[in-house]
Amino acid sequence: MSEVLIKTVNLEKSFGDLHVLKGINEEIKKGEIVVIIGPSGSGKSTFLRCLNLMEQPTGGQVIFKGTDLTAPKVDINAQRQKMGMVFQHFNLFPHLTVLQTMTLAPVQLKLKSKEDAEADALALLEKVGLLEKANEYPNMLSGGQKQRVAIVRALNMEPEVMLFDEPTSALDPEMVGEVLEVMQDLAQSGMTMAIVTHEMSFARRVATRVMFVDEGVIAEQNTPDEFFDNPQNPRLKEFLSKVKNV
Amino acid sequence: MNIFSGIIEIFTSTDYMSYVWNGLGKTLLISVFASLLGLVLGIIVALVKISYPKRKKALCVPNAICSAYVTIIRGTPVALQLFIMVFAIFAIRGFPVEITAILTFGINSGAYVSESIRAGILSVDKGQTEAGLSLGLSGGQTMRLIVIPQAIKNVIPTIGNELIALIKETSIVSMVGIVDLTFAAKIIGAGDKMADYLVPMLVAAIFYLAVVYILTFVIKYVEKRLRRGDRT
Repeated sequence: MSEVLIKTVNLEKSFGDLHVLKGINEEIKKGEIVVIIGPSGSGKSTFLRCLNLMEQPTGGQVIFKGTDLTAPKVDINAQRQKMGMVFQHFNLFPHLTVLQTMTLAPVQLKLKSKEDAEADALALLEKVGLLEKANEYPNMLSGGQKQRVAIVRALNMEPEVMLFDEPTSALDPEMVGEVLEVMQDLAQSGMTMAIVTHEMSFARRVATRVMFVDEGVIAEQNTPDEFFDNPQNPRLKEFLSKVKNV
Repeated sequence: MNIFSGIIEIFTSTDYMSYVWNGLGKTLLISVFASLLGLVLGIIVALVKISYPKRKKALCVPNAICSAYVTIIRGTPVALQLFIMVFAIFAIRGFPVEITAILTFGINSGAYVSESIRAGILSVDKGQTEAGLSLGLSGGQTMRLIVIPQAIKNVIPTIGNELIALIKETSIVSMVGIVDLTFAAKIIGAGDKMADYLVPMLVAAIFYLAVVYILTFVIKYVEKRLRRGDRT
């Protein structure tokens, strides 16, 4: 049995009166590729963002490698170094070049020397086909290139898990493929990943487990083939039929 | 007397020009140090106000002080502030009145600058902070390395305006006896010298204009340099 990397215990999140997550108990094991789908407003992004405390849970616990991240004394910054995150809108740093963007955190946090961080960054850029963009500013990159840089920015921290929050939703359709390709390679390299996405064929191809989040709970989860071919939950059936009809 | 020949007379008289240069020196001295003080105060006040919602307990008192400071300074005339500082708070024999003026204008400028800096920081997309934090950087590191460099770019034009306004506002120090550029012009125009106020005032205006023009140029250059990484 693989080691449990992230565990949520009765995880709850409210925004004011809006009860978004209603007690989620879940585990993500090392090496798993968990894809999270669900209708908009279901709480799937909030769930993902609670895993590295981008959103502060209003109840329950998030346990990462045995450390309760919601405990008051925990050094959340140190824990986040091991949890990479990729955002829908890339959030690259417009005042820094690609290389500076990728080396900022590892060097500032004294995890790598400047030389090592740069060497690693260049190796990662080469892997995702962006080596020639190392000294460009983000405004010179296309959306797909930006998101690939955002992925390798997180990877240069050498995280143990990668969280993807709708990584292709803000992209032009012709650029979705290049980002999914990078993610697929990453999955094959053994990285543990949690991905919120609307890319159903990607989910079926790459995921080890697919979750359906609806109204703040995980309504159903299964292996990709069972999940898509034999859904049980009526809301999931409805959701999948709508998505497939598009 | 012809205005043009009057201007020539001032520029060719070493006596008159020494008044002008010394006056300009005082104006610049007060402007430069006051704007530095204003920048420091402005950054501190802006950071306190921005951090307050996240740390209500620790910053309760500092935030109240900063709010009162900004409200009072922005709500009263700077000439009055100068009089209070010179004739009441620092009415100490031998205390250089130039320093009092620097403090007054620095404190005054800080209140305005803090609001522009606060707006500049808030104008940086929240995703930038999230990206910094997600990499494991602390809140302070994220602010210093990611948010502030972008905020500076956004506030350069307003801070520049503030500096330009400050240079001209310092002319009221002539009301408390500091011989700045404005006061120098008044001295040159008095009855025992040229006995004509218009010409020296015009000369002073030329110098103010020149300083502001050069500053505008510098601000534009800095802005352009900082904008190179922007979205096109």
